[in-house]
Amino acid sequence: MATITANLAVSSDITSYGLNINKTMTMSKAGATTGLNRTSGVQRVYLSNLNHVDLIVAGLAGSPVADMQLSKAAKVYIKYLEDDTTKFVRVGMGNASTNTTQTPNNGDGTFFEMGRLYGNEWMIIPWNGASNVGDITVQPSRASTAEKAIIEYVVFFED
Amino acid sequence: MATTTAAITLTSADLLTDALSLSATSTLHKAGSTEGLDQTTGMAHAYLTATTAIDIFPALIEASIAFENKSNWVYICNLSTDETEFLTVKICEQVIGKLYAGDFLWMPWSMRESQNANDHHGDITIAPSVNTGMHVEFTCINEGTEYHTENTSAGQ
Repeated sequence: MATITANLAVSSDITSYGLNINKTMTMSKAGATTGLNRTSGVQRVYLSNLNHVDLIVAGLAGSPVADMQLSKAAKVYIKYLEDDTTKFVRVGMGNASTNTTQTPNNGDGTFFEMGRLYGNEWMIIPWNGASNVGDITVQPSRASTAEKAIIEYVVFFED
Repeated sequence: MATTTAAITLTSADLLTDALSLSATSTLHKAGSTEGLDQTTGMAHAYLTATTAIDIFPALIEASIAFENKSNWVYICNLSTDETEFLTVKICEQVIGKLYAGDFLWMPWSMRESQNANDHHGDITIAPSVNTGMHVEFTCINEGTEYHTENTSAGQ
């Protein structure tokens, strides 16, 4: 059994009394106290065009998450490696449209945009990984062969 | 201008042959700028006693685009200590994942108007797995929340 921990520390003077978060979670299997025992490892993806593409597909044969059990307790960390804070990557869920136009944010399971990671931003979320509607997708605001958009991700999951 | 920083450290000494240690820090800015986020919903602590999915932040008002594409950061934490209890987190009625006891998420959130007139507009919902009471914390740090105007109709 592995022990994986994530510590989040947020510090802000956004209110007159401040706003601080300091929380540590130990990643466990669904409904258990045993730790998650699989990882994709740290993956780095280079995007050279503006296409909307799948970043991670749970259970995809041959992928780093091929043996992931769906609808369990997986966690995903994603970071956009970019110093320019005007550039962003749309991070979505659903089937990627695999072209330059995303399918609508329509709430019916085909695709929606969860959020945007601007330069140097990162996120950590639980991941359901449901077949077809649960792929994690990305689409950079700017990317070219000369200046690729670089995204890092890690998935922790149970087999 | 406020300054908000977020840092994450992921560690494991025994998941792999070698120790895993990953750290990242970011400063939260308004969309496409270097100006810091200046608004927040504040930290909420709720005790939920039903398994019904509930909206935890105001989403976009119908036909409004004024708050689309702004920067929002969301923190949600399941404070339960029972490992079998979880929160199901959805956006636009689609499951993102489950937060088990002690789990949290930290993510950007896009409030975008729905295209199929279901008024979800990227809304975030949480649903406890049990109705026996679960403590939950959540906050949103952003550059603007579209608060709904009062409804003065009788009985509303």
